Amino acid sequence: MWQQVEQSLHTSMVLVVNKIATLLPGILAFIVAFLFFLFVGWLLSLLVSRILAALHFDERMGRGAHAMAEWSPRATPSLLVGRIVFWGFVVAGVVVGVSALSTSEHVVSGWMLGYVPRVVGAAILLLAGNVLARFVSRSVLITGVNLNLSYARILSMGVRWMILVLTGAMVLDHLALGGAIVELGFGILFGGIVFALSLAVGLGSRDLVSRSLEREAARPVEVAQPEKVHHF
Amino acid sequence: MAAVEFAEETKQQIERIGSADVVVGVAGSISPEELRTHAERLMRELGSAASSLRFVFALPANATPPPEATPAAEDAGLTVLPFLPPAEATGEFWAGVSAHQRAVLGLAASLKARACIVLGSDLAGLDARSIQLFTYAVLERQCGLAMPVYPAAKYEGLINSGILSPLSRALYGKRVRYPVAYDFAVSGALCEGLARGGSAETSGNALLWPVTVAATQFPQAPVGQVHIDVHHKVATDGLELSAVLGQLAGSMFLEMDLCASHWQRIRGSQPAPAWGNAGDGEPDGEPIDPQPMVDSFLLGSKSLDEVWRLILPPNTLLELRHLTRLAPGQFHLPDELWASIVYDFALAWRLRTISRVHVLGALTPLYLGWVASYIREVSGLSNAAAEQRLEQFARVWEEKKPYLLSRWRWPDRFNP
Repeated sequence: MWQQVEQSLHTSMVLVVNKIATLLPGILAFIVAFLFFLFVGWLLSLLVSRILAALHFDERMGRGAHAMAEWSPRATPSLLVGRIVFWGFVVAGVVVGVSALSTSEHVVSGWMLGYVPRVVGAAILLLAGNVLARFVSRSVLITGVNLNLSYARILSMGVRWMILVLTGAMVLDHLALGGAIVELGFGILFGGIVFALSLAVGLGSRDLVSRSLEREAARPVEVAQPEKVHHF
Repeated sequence: MAAVEFAEETKQQIERIGSADVVVGVAGSISPEELRTHAERLMRELGSAASSLRFVFALPANATPPPEATPAAEDAGLTVLPFLPPAEATGEFWAGVSAHQRAVLGLAASLKARACIVLGSDLAGLDARSIQLFTYAVLERQCGLAMPVYPAAKYEGLINSGILSPLSRALYGKRVRYPVAYDFAVSGALCEGLARGGSAETSGNALLWPVTVAATQFPQAPVGQVHIDVHHKVATDGLELSAVLGQLAGSMFLEMDLCASHWQRIRGSQPAPAWGNAGDGEPDGEPIDPQPMVDSFLLGSKSLDEVWRLILPPNTLLELRHLTRLAPGQFHLPDELWASIVYDFALAWRLRTISRVHVLGALTPLYLGWVASYIREVSGLSNAAAEQRLEQFARVWEEKKPYLLSRWRWPDRFNP
């Protein structure tokens, strides 16, 4: 019996080692292809940045591309182009590396190749969502403070998390992870937030609102006072 | 930016008029009849003083009737020239005023005028005394640019007093009280340059900063000031402080960025000679309570900390935090601190540390803090004494200029 166990273990070990041995050239090819494209991408992005700097690309774009600069204030146009070139090559390296694996594993590489665009799309969604959340929440915060709203910070944080949650749900949906759970969970979460807010305003602030309305109704009509301080 | 382009009808009218000694232009909508009435009264008041000069009165004709229906009218020696304003003239608040001012200057350049006087659309400046002083400064005293000094009023024009005037003085070395104004006069030689609006890179709806253009492009042209007894009624309905502050400060920061190579070489400042008698201004009314402004500042420091941290260096943040702990009656924003805050905001605007809209928006609570501090300080002073205080305040900005220079040249050194 022990001999049979030993033999079956030996056979499975041989199978696994064989599998790894057949995968090794593919993995090596993946690493080589990835590193090669990484190097070429870095080199080309450097070259492109230098050429764009020589052509005064930032100065040319700076006057007409205010909108882009507002959304990503720290990235100059030439830096952005350089990064696009670099990350384009990184993605190409991953795709070539994965296809190199196909010589050994058709199923895995086929699935991975099909999944790469989803991952890229999800990464873009995540990035855009983060930038949008940061921009909108700051806008809400600053506008709220300038309107003297004492709850401006909470409002801004709420807006930020709403956008981030929405982005998270979109990313998971794009990656086809979680299936209906994400949609359902997101729907419940959003519906819950709106319902909670409605309850808070409708029940919690009922007395406050009625008192405020009574006060407004009882208040005599005020004549607008001329401003004593003139800023402009 | 290209020179101002006029409609074909306006060009024909310019050709018909030929030339003028003095162009008096209105930077805003007004009816031709109203201008004619004021201009006739003015010419009567000027009498023999104006007889040797040929005056042309220009006004934008976007109000009824259209320019073709009101050709340049010449009767009794009075020439009224309606012109079609440029498309940019519909910009918000001061952008529209600047576009009209450029158009008037462009007209004066086309008419080869010896002097051009630009006035606000409420025609408050269209009186004999003001016109005489402006023409005297430009034609007799050979000033390239004559800016107005309005009667002292310590609680008026606070964006100008707190930011624009001291910043312009520290940067360009000209002690001009109102660097951006409704009324000013320009010599014929400077008309073309000012009509272009300064730097070639500014957009069509950029504001016009006459002192900046004169200091950077015509450094040999003397800049003077005239005391005029004019009170403009600014329509502030619907205008938000943060929007106006953002527009004015943003435009000034843009000019700073474009003229950096010039102002970095300037040290100290030169007084701009002034003519006319300084008015006493309006007497004090009821005392003003600065507490609502202090509250706005405190709310800003509580909520905008994460934004200010990206703009201001740690020592400034520390000083601001110290201010929030002061008792309401002791609130005081030191001049040095306020000057360095504005310099830091200018730098953040230049570097795009965060979105420029956010940079300008985050300045409002700090500005209100300065206003509160200023009101507390000058509430017991006369208008003249408050002016003295502002002079001292402007000197502090000049003394802090090396700080701006070092941060502008080596911004990373102080970055948090």
